[in-house]
Amino acid sequence: MRMKKLWSVKALAVVAMVMSVSSMSLLTSSGATSNGGSIFVDLDETLSGFNVNTSASNEFVLAEIMQLVWPGVFIVDNHVNVYLNKDLVTSATSALNGAGQQVLSYTINPKAQWNDGKPITADDFIYNYQALSGLTKFKDKGNKPYDAAGTTGYSSIASVKGSKPANHAKCSTGSAGLRNAHLCPNGKVVTVTFAKATPFADWESLFGTMVPAHIARKVGFNTGFNINGGGDEKRLLSGSWYYVQNYNQSNNTVILDRNPKYWGHPGKLATIVFAGSTDDSTGIAGIQSGTFNVFQPISTSLAMIQQAQAAGGSIKYSAAPGLQFEHFDFNQANPYLAKLAVRQAIAYGTDRKALIAATVGQAAPSTKPLDNRIYLNNQPQYVANGAAYDNVDVAKAKSLLTGAGFTMGPNGYFQPNFGPQSGQDLTLSITTTTGNVIRAATQQVFQAQMKAVGIKITIVNHPAGTFFGSDLPNGNYDIAEFAWVDTPFATGNNSIYCSYTDATNCASNWVHYANPAVDTLLGQGAAATSPKTEAAFYNKVDAQLWADMVTLPLYQKPLLVAWSSNFHNILPNPSSAGITWNAFQWTRN
Amino acid sequence: MASYILRRLFIGVGVLLISSVLVFVLVAASGDPLALLRQNPLTPPATIHARAVQLHLFDPLWQRYWIWFSHVLRGDFGLNVNNISVGHQLHLKAIVTARMVILSVVLAIVLAISVGVIAALRHDTIVDRTTSVVNFIFLSVPVFVIGLVLKTFVAVPIDQHFHRVVLATAGEQNPLATGNFFQRFPDYLSHSLLPTMTLVLATYSSWAIYQRSTVLDVMDSDYVRLARAKGISPRRVLLRHILRNALIPVTTIIALDFAGLLGGAVITETVYGWNGLGRFFLDGVNGQDTNVVLAYLLLTATIVILFNLVADILYGVLDPRIRYGKS
Repeated sequence: MRMKKLWSVKALAVVAMVMSVSSMSLLTSSGATSNGGSIFVDLDETLSGFNVNTSASNEFVLAEIMQLVWPGVFIVDNHVNVYLNKDLVTSATSALNGAGQQVLSYTINPKAQWNDGKPITADDFIYNYQALSGLTKFKDKGNKPYDAAGTTGYSSIASVKGSKPANHAKCSTGSAGLRNAHLCPNGKVVTVTFAKATPFADWESLFGTMVPAHIARKVGFNTGFNINGGGDEKRLLSGSWYYVQNYNQSNNTVILDRNPKYWGHPGKLATIVFAGSTDDSTGIAGIQSGTFNVFQPISTSLAMIQQAQAAGGSIKYSAAPGLQFEHFDFNQANPYLAKLAVRQAIAYGTDRKALIAATVGQAAPSTKPLDNRIYLNNQPQYVANGAAYDNVDVAKAKSLLTGAGFTMGPNGYFQPNFGPQSGQDLTLSITTTTGNVIRAATQQVFQAQMKAVGIKITIVNHPAGTFFGSDLPNGNYDIAEFAWVDTPFATGNNSIYCSYTDATNCASNWVHYANPAVDTLLGQGAAATSPKTEAAFYNKVDAQLWADMVTLPLYQKPLLVAWSSNFHNILPNPSSAGITWNAFQWTRN
Repeated sequence: MASYILRRLFIGVGVLLISSVLVFVLVAASGDPLALLRQNPLTPPATIHARAVQLHLFDPLWQRYWIWFSHVLRGDFGLNVNNISVGHQLHLKAIVTARMVILSVVLAIVLAISVGVIAALRHDTIVDRTTSVVNFIFLSVPVFVIGLVLKTFVAVPIDQHFHRVVLATAGEQNPLATGNFFQRFPDYLSHSLLPTMTLVLATYSSWAIYQRSTVLDVMDSDYVRLARAKGISPRRVLLRHILRNALIPVTTIIALDFAGLLGGAVITETVYGWNGLGRFFLDGVNGQDTNVVLAYLLLTATIVILFNLVADILYGVLDPRIRYGKS
């Protein structure tokens, strides 16, 4: 079993600098349903802690669990639309102040409270900001730096302050020790002010899955919510639909019960159990036998989809494209891949439709070549910037290589007249993770396609730890195949495509690509004042990346979710919010 | 005998030390425990750096090993890459695995001896040939195939027929089950039946084949012929003369195979979603988590060494002709 890490943003930005966001609309149940009952959700990760905001516990399934326990300002629905969680805040706005700074204003629902009876206040926002800001002046318990899973957005904030405490009370003074002195921590209105130079277009990604400040200060943010055995769940509290009734470390099972102190629309099912940890290959059998009711494998295989198709009416399933997209990275540290003509030749010679047909297309025939790296096919901002590469063009690929000075050798491969392979067949390796059947098939088809172009491809695969831990960061590859889990927020892409020469901010640029024009566009996109402007900037970024042929996106990976047909309102969500985004609305016959 | 045991234990400790060094080097060199973190473009480099410092990834390999070793000497297996106590986890996981393995071993022993003896007594009959074919089938089929077949073609049809979970296909217990042990026993049974059957079927066959062979050997021996010639009843000949001697080599084989069963349990636990040592080990390997893998290694290596020793001692106890430490 593998561990899947979550990228800490959780929703798609449809950003307005001054906007009122619609409230979460409750879905209607279908069929004869009733409140109560329990559901078993397959849990295929071994949990290590509950604070999904730390790098140590930033796991996908954990986030799916904790978004039902710890409150977040926004909810992302199955159409990747963003809704305000009005149970938590009655309004959330973004505006520019007189000094040109972006200012967010949240009005906390007067009824909002943790299940120990403490009200949810500005102090919770202040604490979560400080923990995730990445600023060294803020320290966790024991004077240790906060182990923030991600600081995007929070690092651009200048201040978070409260105001207007409940019942017209006075602001409490706070304390220097708690680092909330003079910030009106008991306020029910929260004002977030960004530094002038760094407004944040994806502001709706902030303040999701917030830890209870009054507990976190006592137990510690980094390790206070870790699993130590016995009573871990008591520290967690709940400010949302469900609370953690029990965590069994021995069995790795989490039981969520309906929060009796929840002030909003309560969860419909009485209990949600995350358990099972089945082998992914037999997950469908687990639903058929009734051992669990919802199955969401970390990695979808063709066999799983076929099993779900064959299972009949007792199982419902979805294999729609998710937010993961498969792609080729071209390492520009390689003297041949440093040449644009070579990268373009590979792209023109790659028949992406044939690759899909030979792999994921067999079970998910609607899968198409992906023509955008920033926005995916099921996002409204998607523009097919790479449409020119939809149809294979071997002749053009060959002419590009010829134009770049390569000559055709006697073995049917082009030969360079420079570099270490001068006078030899142009040979490049393709590397990916071992043991992945679909990627292995992709490599073989790609190898044959490149032979037609005149490029010799060798296949060199390594275990995931070596591939991601060493090969990619150290540039030990020519062409790499893997998937990016696209964040619903475009700013999450900045560290991948900004110039690798900025090692601090662009640590995920493993292709050794640098283009100041792209850096500028990325900065403008992140600071955009409207969603339309943001999308326009990021689409310009993507168009430039296609022009420079930095990477070659292949396709969005289909994501299987299967569930027992006697449960209703289960709506697979392609975003990183996951299947539990509306678990409070699930019902059963 | 005492000096023999001490000598064997001393050698065992040496084997443990050498294997721990080898495994440490292999796991530490196999990849980066922070690989998944690096894959996330939103993780700040400062966070990754802090985690690397915490895990001593910048220290020389020998120094990292010494840190681990000195802690183990104090009974501290350290923390995993996610800051969780490895020792506590090892304890919990060992209990889960023991529940599966011990029951499976007991049942497999009973089955293997029964099948082996019956096949030998019915030598060259349809019973012998049938059991031999079945034994060889289970010997050659991988554990995971047995598990998948039982899940798909046994559990699913039964559960669907009864419209409830009779044979659970995942997990070691229903998290919502309450009450004392006896009240929860049906649930334990529902979750344990298939994994136990899988391990039994994957294990018993080699023992049964061996048992059959040893019974046949003993049946041909002079003292058995003498016993029969003296008019001793067939039942008494079987129990007192054949079985007692034929069990000696099988007993030692079973003791030696016990560690192999733990290996088989890794696959069985994966197929049935049990959170035992198998899952613990695989998580450690996949995460390049040296502390987890080493803790697993220490436990399993200790079991291997101890059971090897037990096998030798049992051999001596069961066969009075063998005495250790004497020429």
